[in-house]
Amino acid sequence: MRRFTYMVPKSLDEAISMHMTHGERARYIAGGTDILIKIKEKKVFPDYLISLKHILSPDRPLFNTESGELYIGAFVTHRRIETSKRVQVRYPILHDAVKNIGSVQIRNVATIGGNLVNAVPSADGAAPLIALDARVNVHGPKGERSMDLLRFFLGPGQCDLEPGEILTEIVVPPLLPRTGSAYVKFGRREAMELPLLGVGVVLSLEEDLTTCARARIALGVAAPTPMRPFEAEHFLQGKPLNDQILEEAGKIAARESRVRDSIRGVAWYRREMVGVLVKRMGQKALERVHETQSLHRA
Amino acid sequence: MNQFHTVGKRIPKLDAMDKATGRSQYIQDLKVPGMLYGKILYSKYPHAKIVHIDTSKAKKLPGVRGVLTGYDIPEIKFGVYKDNRPLKAGKVRSYRDEVAAVAAVDPETAEEAVRLIEVTYEALPGIFDPVAAMREDAPLVHEAHKTNILKMPWKLHYGDVEEAKKKAAYIVEENFSTTWVTHCCLGASGALAWFDYADNLTIYSNTQIPSLAQKDFIDALDAMGIKNRRVRVIKPLLGGGFGSKLDTYAYEYIAILLAHHTRKPVKIVFDRQEEFIATSTRQPTLTRIAQGCDKEGRLLFRDISMILDNGAYTSWGATTPSVMMMPITTLYKVPNVRYEAKCVYTNNTYAQAMRGYGNPQATFAIESSMDMLAEAAGIDRVVFREINANESGYVSPQNFKITTCGLKECIDAVVRELDMDRPKEKGEGVGMASLIHVGGGARVYKSDGCGTIIKVDDFGKVNVFTGASDMGQGADTVIAQIVAEELGLAVDDIHVIHTDTDVCPWDVGAHASRTTFVAGNSALGAAKKIKAQVLEVASRILDTPGDRLVLRDRSICSVEDDTRTMAFGKLLRKAHFSRSGRMLMAEYFYDPANENLGRDFRGNLSMTYTFGVHGVRVKVDEETGKVKILDYVAAHDVGKAINPMLLEGQVYGGVMMGIGYALTEQILSEKGQCMNPNFRDYKILTAKDVVPMKAPVLESSDPDGPFGAKGIGEPGCVPTAPAIANAIYDAVGVRIKDLPMTPERVLAAIRENQGIDLCGIQAGKDPGDACVVEE
Amino acid sequence: MERVVSFVLNGSEMQLRIQDHWTLLHLLREELGLLGTKEGCGSGECGACTVLVDGMAVNSCLYLAAEIEGKTVRTIEGLASPEGTLHPIQKAFVEQGGIQCGFCSPGMILSAKALLDENPAAGEDEIKEAIAGNICRCTGYVQIIESIRSVSSTAQEKVKVVAWQADEED
Repeated sequence: MRRFTYMVPKSLDEAISMHMTHGERARYIAGGTDILIKIKEKKVFPDYLISLKHILSPDRPLFNTESGELYIGAFVTHRRIETSKRVQVRYPILHDAVKNIGSVQIRNVATIGGNLVNAVPSADGAAPLIALDARVNVHGPKGERSMDLLRFFLGPGQCDLEPGEILTEIVVPPLLPRTGSAYVKFGRREAMELPLLGVGVVLSLEEDLTTCARARIALGVAAPTPMRPFEAEHFLQGKPLNDQILEEAGKIAARESRVRDSIRGVAWYRREMVGVLVKRMGQKALERVHETQSLHRA
Repeated sequence: MNQFHTVGKRIPKLDAMDKATGRSQYIQDLKVPGMLYGKILYSKYPHAKIVHIDTSKAKKLPGVRGVLTGYDIPEIKFGVYKDNRPLKAGKVRSYRDEVAAVAAVDPETAEEAVRLIEVTYEALPGIFDPVAAMREDAPLVHEAHKTNILKMPWKLHYGDVEEAKKKAAYIVEENFSTTWVTHCCLGASGALAWFDYADNLTIYSNTQIPSLAQKDFIDALDAMGIKNRRVRVIKPLLGGGFGSKLDTYAYEYIAILLAHHTRKPVKIVFDRQEEFIATSTRQPTLTRIAQGCDKEGRLLFRDISMILDNGAYTSWGATTPSVMMMPITTLYKVPNVRYEAKCVYTNNTYAQAMRGYGNPQATFAIESSMDMLAEAAGIDRVVFREINANESGYVSPQNFKITTCGLKECIDAVVRELDMDRPKEKGEGVGMASLIHVGGGARVYKSDGCGTIIKVDDFGKVNVFTGASDMGQGADTVIAQIVAEELGLAVDDIHVIHTDTDVCPWDVGAHASRTTFVAGNSALGAAKKIKAQVLEVASRILDTPGDRLVLRDRSICSVEDDTRTMAFGKLLRKAHFSRSGRMLMAEYFYDPANENLGRDFRGNLSMTYTFGVHGVRVKVDEETGKVKILDYVAAHDVGKAINPMLLEGQVYGGVMMGIGYALTEQILSEKGQCMNPNFRDYKILTAKDVVPMKAPVLESSDPDGPFGAKGIGEPGCVPTAPAIANAIYDAVGVRIKDLPMTPERVLAAIRENQGIDLCGIQAGKDPGDACVVEE
Repeated sequence: MERVVSFVLNGSEMQLRIQDHWTLLHLLREELGLLGTKEGCGSGECGACTVLVDGMAVNSCLYLAAEIEGKTVRTIEGLASPEGTLHPIQKAFVEQGGIQCGFCSPGMILSAKALLDENPAAGEDEIKEAIAGNICRCTGYVQIIESIRSVSSTAQEKVKVVAWQADEED
């Protein structure tokens, strides 16, 4: 691999200042599983790699019982998210996605922040968090800012980070009551997959446990960036949720998607699968609402 | 009761312990003093004239010791058609053409030097479709041949197919296609070569054909003006083979040329991308097949024509028809057979041997068509196969003499183990397919032999020098078991050496599932000679006739009298340390009594044939087209399982490779360029894709095999695709005729069946907003 | 450019000067002569380079040597006991056909060890999950899974995965 100097800042400000000193010749590195491949494939040529791994930060997702928010530090590994019981129970859409990223070896090392910043359309970390209305906090030379995760992605491989800025935290707002969620990473084999399509659905129900109070759908690889099919979401809102309604929502979402042909899959098939999988993830999300309801009653 | 003490036992592979502890050395691990690292520059175009190569910058880079192009080397021709050169001059014909090579003191410098080589090309129109390449106006890949169609003899006609067509009550005709897949050995290709100062060559190479490679390298040295020198080929541990190492490759010659040019050892190892792009694939096929039967369901004819994409140069892929003939003429009893195959040059990658060597491709067409014909004739698919099944004693139109044959028993085993008759749930289906493969060697070369030398030392330990090649399949262990069995020793007493042409006798190579049969018989023959020598010595020492002595438990003892016994080692020492002492050594070259195919391709290619049947239960998701395998049964008639554990390993590994071939694997090639040269996008199956599998073994005890054994290396991946295709048809009524049977293909077929096109528009209905195309 | 790292390798304390751009794989194979860890693809897609860092399975081809400071590394060479007894997982692989060509075996065995150290009663599904990132072309995985299962203290019935980290708030 091409030579570089490895720098190990102890604080965010130190990291940012190192980055500003070296400018274009420097890159941040967290887990390393994305950037080291890029260096090996001669897509990037940094002279300096600034490690974010030794900056003091939470190493696992943290739940604020008062506010109901979930904080996930950008440097938390996928493995920590995967093995978090709270995430599995309360945010199954995230658990579904994260547990299938790469392999155990990759998840032990790769960070959720790195996944988001890499900004590939197929990033399994993005869609579920977008469906959960997550916001991201960014720390940079000009201070801090925050934005919707949906707005964070600008194009394939491009995210809204100014030079020197570091994504530091993902904040998931409190869940509405009676919420269920699910994600599917649709691929050709059962592991080691980059998905042909990623579909996540979060459904929150009214007290009657049938009417949809709010729907969120997030699609990966259905457009140049992760997207939400807003028409499909609006369609579901206020409606009694059953198989036919979910199927219709799937068809609307399919029409809204902007799929294309690639070596990983053809457009017509991706479009079809948006319809099928939105329906199925909607059904699974509903099932999970009912599961947690019966647990509460038990 | 098992009368054998090691044969038939689940003995661990001899080198497994070294492999489990990280002690084993593959080509990647080998280093010699003064070694240089070689790296190859590949073509930037699929078809272009080489106008100019400027290596000056590369040569000047510190650490570079040698740079070669096609213009610096003598004329070395290799490949089946001798149309290939280690480094290309004049023009390039594919993206994997080797244009230049560098030797440097470390891998990074070699890579850097390769990047500094400047090549000027003049692009030529490329041809990537073999059918289009057959046209008169198609660009010529090799001008000297004047046509893209190779002069290959693949044409046979036994009986009278046209007459049979007129008599047939039912006929089905269909087209099938298979595409490029690749071996994906975890241990990538590599070679390490050096010359001594007398120009004798030593080369460590990942090869399955050390003896034949030796000959190829001698020819190369000859072309280099080096005559009458010795060539020593040493096989390091192979990180997989599956046929990928059955041919000599450009990189081996390049290592030799660089070694000679620099007067230093040169090692070339492929990275994973190179392994995908620059090693040869399985042969793709376009097949048209017609089969017909009478009213009772007896097959009357089989008529097949194939077009094979030969790629830019000719390797073993072009000879796969010689093996495809086997299922074509002899899978089931078919009295009239016609077959023709055309091999066509294109600017795509080229194919060589891969597990099955054409049999999977041909069986996909044949066994899919069998189900179609059974349906047309209104006969149950299982019964249809039983009606036409081969039997012991059958001689096929190609003169294959079927000796032991467990085909019917395998059919029964599959029906039973798969519970084929149980009621189906929605989307479920079952399917089966049979296989025939050579099981007793395959006379594809002038000799199908294998030599063994056995040496016994004074301590009763045995060295077996075999020409056979182990690549992980267990040849070493099976040979040790056979020798141990014959000599009454433990497997631990046997050391099998199989790696070095200076030490090991000739063998044609590890292919055609021949190793257990041929190398096993060779080892057995040598062991029998040793046994005769032992008995001769023992009879004198123990004062007992030889035929009243047995070898067991590391001793020789009298059958009648327990007290007349001597330990093996002691006996050997007595023989050695006496007047006119002797050491026990023996050699045996076993060349099976099979036949080369004649000009009309008739000839008993193998001494015996392995049969098998695979059955599979699938569930097809009709909304996504995904096929899930619920149960898989792979029944094989193997004669005798010398090592059931290793045999199962071959079956499980073969089946998983076959499932990948059937459902997920393909090289995606666009205008000759491989678009997925990595494990991310080439969908080799993972542990999570494993299916529930049963591998019943039927032992028909072959009279010619060592302890009755037949070959098993390849059968595991031969009928997988058609078994699954037949199950998909049974499940959802669609027949997929192109591999791999991806979800897209299955869904598109289901939709077509329902009259819905790819935009979701039902035939005859108003589209509405069903399909909005965005620009 | 260069730094000194202190770490524990196969039970022994090490202190080495390394180059910043070295991967752990390069350090092990090219600098320390530990050839048991293999390179199958160089991009984290095959698992042949798997080693254990603080008990976790990682792809050493994508792990910077600079990051092993203060950590414990275990390679295949360090699995058998110092007296030469095979680890039960190694023994199982040898005896149950889990090894054919052997190229994937070091990585595969270490992935199995990481699993069983964390979850000694792992069942078939957990095993498949743990080795999903280790590609094998020879065995079809069946005998590998059997080998690992035979070592797992497969309790009477299948135990649900208990690999959860206790969240601080719980």
